[in-house]
Amino acid sequence: MIGWLHPGLILIFGVLLIPLFRGKWKQAYLLVLPAVALIDVILMFMGFFGDIPYSTWSLPFLGYEFVLGRVDKLSLIFGLLFTLAALTLVIYAIHVKSDSEHMSELSYVGGALGVVFAGDLFALYIFWEIMAIASTLVVWHGRTDKARRAGFRYILWHIFGGIILLAGIVMYVHSTGSSAFNALSWGAGIASLPSYLIFIGFIINAAVPPLHAWLPDAYPESTVAGTVYLSIFTTKTAVYVLARGFVGFEPLILIGALMTAYPIFYAVLENDLRKVLCYSLINQVGFMLCGIGIGTALAVNGAVSHAFANVFFEGLLFLCVGSVLYRTGTCKCTELGGLYKAMPLTCAFCFVGAASISAFPLFSGFVTKSMIISAAAYGHMGFIWVILMLASAGVFHHAGIKVPFFTFFGEDLGFKVRDPPINMVLAMGIAAILSITIGVYPHSLYQFLPYPVDFVPYTIPHVIGQLQLLLFASFAFFVLITSGLYPPEQNKINLDSDWPLRMIGAKFMWFVKGPLMALGANLDQGLRRIASFFKGYGGELEERMLVGVSVLIALIFLAVYLLVELIYRWIMS
Amino acid sequence: MDDVIIMAILSLLGFAGYVLLCFATKEPRHRLGDLLIAIYGLVLLTTIVSGLFVNWHIYFWWESLVAFSAIYGFAACVFLIYVAKGLRLWLPKEMDYYEMKEGARK
Repeated sequence: MIGWLHPGLILIFGVLLIPLFRGKWKQAYLLVLPAVALIDVILMFMGFFGDIPYSTWSLPFLGYEFVLGRVDKLSLIFGLLFTLAALTLVIYAIHVKSDSEHMSELSYVGGALGVVFAGDLFALYIFWEIMAIASTLVVWHGRTDKARRAGFRYILWHIFGGIILLAGIVMYVHSTGSSAFNALSWGAGIASLPSYLIFIGFIINAAVPPLHAWLPDAYPESTVAGTVYLSIFTTKTAVYVLARGFVGFEPLILIGALMTAYPIFYAVLENDLRKVLCYSLINQVGFMLCGIGIGTALAVNGAVSHAFANVFFEGLLFLCVGSVLYRTGTCKCTELGGLYKAMPLTCAFCFVGAASISAFPLFSGFVTKSMIISAAAYGHMGFIWVILMLASAGVFHHAGIKVPFFTFFGEDLGFKVRDPPINMVLAMGIAAILSITIGVYPHSLYQFLPYPVDFVPYTIPHVIGQLQLLLFASFAFFVLITSGLYPPEQNKINLDSDWPLRMIGAKFMWFVKGPLMALGANLDQGLRRIASFFKGYGGELEERMLVGVSVLIALIFLAVYLLVELIYRWIMS
Repeated sequence: MDDVIIMAILSLLGFAGYVLLCFATKEPRHRLGDLLIAIYGLVLLTTIVSGLFVNWHIYFWWESLVAFSAIYGFAACVFLIYVAKGLRLWLPKEMDYYEMKEGARK
């Protein structure tokens, strides 16, 4: 019997064989990889490798323990989530010919799984960086100049976050003497600095404003499938590590609440639908962080289940917009409209995703987001509750109405297209079925949560209250759009919190391209003039002597250097 | 069991109302546009009326106001859109804004 198999390493090593296969065999192999990882996780759930929780694959590392396999309820649900999502996305992207795209996407998933099952901080860090590099490659597969530039900005953010995380880890291990990754301690004073550094490293990946700008900047530049991959793993891994290390960390409540509110304004302004969904993703992660910050069993269950449901409903919206992009070549509000007749299936799936993310009763968001909002209410956090409800109405406006309305309805632009190929429809179908199943039968998800659940989402007042909130938010949209007061979409970019950084970068590039190049050219010209002045004296000598003189000068230089070094050492000794 | 049926009917009605809204407001107008809007209006009314007969679980005083969720949803959405309209005065820039700042030529 096998001791244990690491699902992340199955993917990371498995991708190396992808280029060896051709045609149908390659497609089969691409499906087998995440399927094996998924079966592996299901076997773990069934206790095939031992009774949960357990730790395995511990390797000695510089006097510390390097734990690759920490299996408990929290890591298992994220493992299930990631492998299930990977399988769905491979189906979605099975027609993609580029080996390197599949390889970077699946090793990205492998990195995320590695973080989830890592039991110590060093293993976590290594997989964290694998994820950062692989996801940058996924961005670059957009293969446009914009994607290349956005990818560089993306990796700079993640290198920055990674270094802070590493600094925190090293300091933490040094002060506690253990590299095990469990709930971290925090408080006032310098003793907690390592925890705070680790925290900052984590929240950069969670895209907490104002450290979020990399997300709407880079994600929409990837390929149709690449963007969906990106939307899932980095942020949800961050949610996992925060749920592991910072449960009940109170600043997270406010951070999460503000994170739900900030992006909804941008989502109204944004014209590119994939960017709208990116802002909506930040908003959704805000709900999860808020739940982790509240820290009660209900709230943490809410955060974890919302992460699970979100991957499928938010993913479904990304899949739908991706399908539209695949067929029409655009995903901008100003260039789309009236697609419901041309792409009926995509439209129907989009409604399922939109209703789920808006938390319509009978859809998954309703049963998961309610746990977080109820936890805030049980804790009598009035201000937080008000913000979360505002954000809920905001989500409904931009993801619930804006995305389906401007794509499939709005002004009919007469596209002659069809629904996407069968594999893409199938992937959307899987995500839609999961979203509805969780919504109609919450227990299907509740049984996997880290804490026992006694939350009942379906009560008459809750259903009616939620319907009132959503339908009257839609009524506001109806009033504004029919009266012409709704701001028309504009094909522009919107400045975000990375503006100061990008301005410094842009000014630096301007300085290099402009004044610095001019100075260089002038210097060059000046030196030539001086040289030509001496040429008048040297004549042929210059040409004959050139090599010899150069060698001589170099030798003199080296000799002087040697001499200085020797004298220096002699003085110092 | 009755509660389950009531909740299911209300939820389906709500979802239907939301989908109808999208059909009703598209351009060119749906030939049954007015009928769709009428149904949508009825759904809105249903949620308000049914809310009057419900025993609300109250955690905050404002939840006891009549049709609080409806008012809040409407107000939140209007607030959101008007703030966004205000932000539009200075956030949007041309697509090549950053490239221009680097000194690229049009």
